[in-house]
Amino acid sequence: MPPIKLMATTGILGYGFTEEAFNAGVAMKPDLIACDAGSSDPGPHYLGSGTAFVSRAAAKRDLELMVTAGVANGIPVMIGSAGGSGSDAQVDWTLDILREICAENDIAPKVAVIRTEQSKDLLHKKLAAGKISPLGPIGELTDKDIDDASRVVAMMGPEGYQQALNEGADVVIAGRGTDAALFAALPLMKGADPGLAWHLAKIIECGAQVVEPREGQDCVIGTIYDDHFTVEPGHPDRRCTVTRVSAHTLYENPEPYRLKEPDGTLVTDHCSFEQLEERVVKVSGSRYEPADQYTVKLEGARPVGFRTVFIAGIRDPILIDGIDDFVTSCRARIARDVGALGIEPADFTLSVHLYGKNAVMGELEPEADGPIHELGLLLDVLGRTEDISRAVLAKSRYAFLHTDFPGRMCISGNLAIPFSPSDMHVGAVYEFNVWHLMSCDDPMECVRMEWIEPEEVRSWRN
Amino acid sequence: MAKLMDIARVVRGKNAGALQLTLDVMFEDEETYRKVRDSGVLSPRTIAPLYGVTDNEVAIIPFDVAKAIKITVPRRIRSGSPGDTDVYGAQQHVPLMQIDLPD
Repeated sequence: MPPIKLMATTGILGYGFTEEAFNAGVAMKPDLIACDAGSSDPGPHYLGSGTAFVSRAAAKRDLELMVTAGVANGIPVMIGSAGGSGSDAQVDWTLDILREICAENDIAPKVAVIRTEQSKDLLHKKLAAGKISPLGPIGELTDKDIDDASRVVAMMGPEGYQQALNEGADVVIAGRGTDAALFAALPLMKGADPGLAWHLAKIIECGAQVVEPREGQDCVIGTIYDDHFTVEPGHPDRRCTVTRVSAHTLYENPEPYRLKEPDGTLVTDHCSFEQLEERVVKVSGSRYEPADQYTVKLEGARPVGFRTVFIAGIRDPILIDGIDDFVTSCRARIARDVGALGIEPADFTLSVHLYGKNAVMGELEPEADGPIHELGLLLDVLGRTEDISRAVLAKSRYAFLHTDFPGRMCISGNLAIPFSPSDMHVGAVYEFNVWHLMSCDDPMECVRMEWIEPEEVRSWRN
Repeated sequence: MAKLMDIARVVRGKNAGALQLTLDVMFEDEETYRKVRDSGVLSPRTIAPLYGVTDNEVAIIPFDVAKAIKITVPRRIRSGSPGDTDVYGAQQHVPLMQIDLPD
């Protein structure tokens, strides 16, 4: 097998990379330029609402460099988990950016679109057939969970990418997939060792996490050979080290030795890492255990209300001394005041965060009793409707600003409010309510392929 | 008596998906790593109360090749759900830093 070279441009499309590293990487003539756009880290809002957590400008900048270089050099370009969560809306958002890039640069690649948002019908059928089980500490999935979710995506394996590459795609915009599947797809279809292919994919999918010095995101190049692979940075002044590369399997994984993928498990307990050159790390010994059953992870989020928030500073030392009692009396007053508007306790939650006093760790704070001279107050209202959310926050703001407390001297106001308007309307709020595994009879069962031919891409110019 | 933060190179936390928090303690040199790994001070019994979970919910996995010890616990609140204070789980490592080590 001739060596296969893969370039990961950045950890998440829109997080950026240097042109220096990118150009050096392209000059190495990689067989693939790719980047996963996805993460569940920013929370359930983005999947729930089908919106991106990076700016359109940032995603366009990264994608434009990748697609124009890919087209100019005949290298396929693939984007996984488009738009952050890989829902249909986020795939469409990425396609819209691609449309603009193609028109502005006068290029007409053959585009494969891979969708992995799941229909509710299929999910209900799978649930009834006993094909869906919890992934980690969460309950059994119910029909109500499926109905409540605004979107459910499946994390596909490499098969969709392989079909796209086999059929000659120049650019692939894909829905949710495992980070590693994006990079394992090509070497696997060319006959690379599965242990090496999956391990290399896992190491480079986060971009410059494995690069020193750590100066933000950047391009990483992995090359797979018959019995080992190498990892090196695109940037000529940076390097990959054994420490960084070996530690990367720890990152964001519940365990370091066994990493689950749809059709098996990557096992890294007998790996060896070697500093081949100053900038290059060599890895060997990775294994892949095929699974008996093909499973995909499902991610879904359901709406839980509307958020309005308010931030202020508290500096008055008398108020700070009695802050816990003060919060209690404010809560009582808010309940009365919003009750007078016909808003029931079940219609909203009010969270009070006092930054400077255990707001991050809560009851787990190991140093709960330190001296405080200043507090940051965050009021967070989650209401059943947008109107309720705004009304409860406005009453809460007034209560915190003007409620009396023992020994009070600052009788014209308790808060330093930094903004006008003071109340920030966040909009719809979601929570993850599907985090399960679904068994598939066929890997492509959860995948829908669409093609945009060059003739159609050319018509985007008009 | 030294605290873990005095001898570790990295003490970090992050989501491992929306339902779990994973914490990595990494060391500069082999000797310190082995000393902490073998001391038993990072055990489910010491970790569980720091994260408000039960002993059998704590997974502790030494990772020799990276001179690291991984600790995974369930999140008390799902990432980004109402009541969560740390959506990425990136600041939940602090109780580990304060753990006292035997001399």
